[in-house]
Amino acid sequence: MMFASKRLAKELAKMQEHLPPGISIFKAENLEEWQMDIKVLDDNPIYRNETYRLKFTFGSRYPIEPPEVQFIDVPATESAQESRRPIPIHPHIYSNGIICLDLLGSAGWSPVQKVESVCMSIQSMLTANHKNERPPGDSEFVTYNRRRPRDINFLYDDDNV
Amino acid sequence: MKLDQFLAMDVGSEDDRFLDLRALEYISDYDDHLMCPICHCPFIRPVRLECDHVFCQTCLNSAIRSFATGRDGFTCPTCRTPTRDVYLNVPRLLTNMCDEIPVRCPFSSEGCKEVVPRGHIQSHADKYCGYKLMDCPSASCDLRTRKKDLSPEDKCMHELHKCLRCDEDIMEQDYERHVQELCPSLKTTCPDCQVTVFRKALREHIEACPEAIHPCSASKYGCPVKMKRAELGTHEQSCPLITIGPYFEAQNSRLDSMELTVRHLQQRNEIFEDGLASIRSTLVESSRAFSAHNSSNTPTTDTNDTLDTPSEINRRSTPRSTTTEDSTTPLSNATTYLLSLHESLREEVAQLSHAITDLDARASMAIMNECLRLKEDMAHTNAAVNSVRMQVQWLMNPRLHQGQRAAGADTSTGAQSGSAGRTGAGAGPSSTGLLRLRRLSDTGREGTKL
Repeated sequence: MMFASKRLAKELAKMQEHLPPGISIFKAENLEEWQMDIKVLDDNPIYRNETYRLKFTFGSRYPIEPPEVQFIDVPATESAQESRRPIPIHPHIYSNGIICLDLLGSAGWSPVQKVESVCMSIQSMLTANHKNERPPGDSEFVTYNRRRPRDINFLYDDDNV
Repeated sequence: MKLDQFLAMDVGSEDDRFLDLRALEYISDYDDHLMCPICHCPFIRPVRLECDHVFCQTCLNSAIRSFATGRDGFTCPTCRTPTRDVYLNVPRLLTNMCDEIPVRCPFSSEGCKEVVPRGHIQSHADKYCGYKLMDCPSASCDLRTRKKDLSPEDKCMHELHKCLRCDEDIMEQDYERHVQELCPSLKTTCPDCQVTVFRKALREHIEACPEAIHPCSASKYGCPVKMKRAELGTHEQSCPLITIGPYFEAQNSRLDSMELTVRHLQQRNEIFEDGLASIRSTLVESSRAFSAHNSSNTPTTDTNDTLDTPSEINRRSTPRSTTTEDSTTPLSNATTYLLSLHESLREEVAQLSHAITDLDARASMAIMNECLRLKEDMAHTNAAVNSVRMQVQWLMNPRLHQGQRAAGADTSTGAQSGSAGRTGAGAGPSSTGLLRLRRLSDTGREGTKL
């Protein structure tokens, strides 16, 4: 855990100084799970005026092994004056928040990736999308899937996004 | 060096004698280029790949070991270039720069205040640091003690002694300091209210001491009042300087920003003055050259068409002197003329640069628009091609099945009918090949299909 926590502490310090537009830290209290808020910056009608929340779960072998990243659905809170954080609609994002992105699988991951770069990849994946649809077989997958994202064998067959 | 050789190399991080450089506290920000992209520390024993990307030896080692498709398919973590070789020679400059980054001594929690360049931290810890934890010389004691506290007689300094005042058990190595400074039973007097308090409570007391004299919080604006804390509250409610405080703040910040702009303007002014002076000097030079040229011109024309009589020489000398006197007035005229010319040229240049930036912005906008349109078009075409492909596949399927069946029939009847048999046989093998190919790609899609 030493290696991972040291690296995460350094990343956090750097991100608290500067973050790219549309990305912000919501919660990074420990070095195991972080939550980030991301926004799509351009005027894409599917994601306009929405903020989405990503949950990062880091293993002890981060950054050699990828973190687990998925969207989470957070209801609006009155006290903190926050709007709802829904799961974005995208042909590669299941309605339970699981993201199919080769970068997050062990084959596409590279240890030079960091939380900031992952957020930016997901941000650009949303920006480039024009299909207002869920992946095929979304409802079955969401009903029957009990596996964690890292155990699912995704097939990365779409090079358009 | 091949990857296997590299993996077999000693990583060396397990050795207890060496400090873990990754655990050090780097007191200043270091350049991002000196940072290993994997561990985000300044490079520690850097190695290089074919593509010139540099990593720490340990980081690259673990990246290769955990590479998903095995080490034969290893690609550079940064640029994904397929990689077979690792080079141990990185530029000396890089290691020097990394070794120069200042770090805090790893024994700072023991009290060492030292900050040294990273390259020297090992020798500092080995030789010079008095706060390094050493094993206790006594064989029966497994505690550790600071190097400077080691007794010369090699005796164990961990024996407990009871403090006479506070009944606390103190180790021998800490006893002296405890008695002099730390023992909570030591008493002291508050400098303001003369109450005697325990030393450990002094700080709390000073925070709360009602007798302590504090200046009014508007003292920086000139309020001379200094009062006891208890009375300060009533004063602060009536102090006019506190109510006007925010206004002062605003003025201060305005003054600051104005000073800044004044400084900028001064700098610019200096630059302009320099430029003006240089222009003036070149002008003076050029006009001098010009007048010299003029005055030398007149006599030569004279010598050509006049006779060399003494009277002539006299006559010639007079106009020469007048021309040199006259040349000063046209000189200043020429200066102003050139200056105005210079001004107008400068304006023109400014206009041109404006026009260029304008044009640039317009061009980039146009390019972006065009790009967006093209992207959309491409997406449309992609979709169309995909749907055509699907249709063709669907159409081909029955045809291929038919061809297969026909080929089966053909082999039984032999090659009796020339043309029909040939086409059938030709279609047969190729169609089965196609089918097998597709099966292959299908079997890969057992997981979740996207």
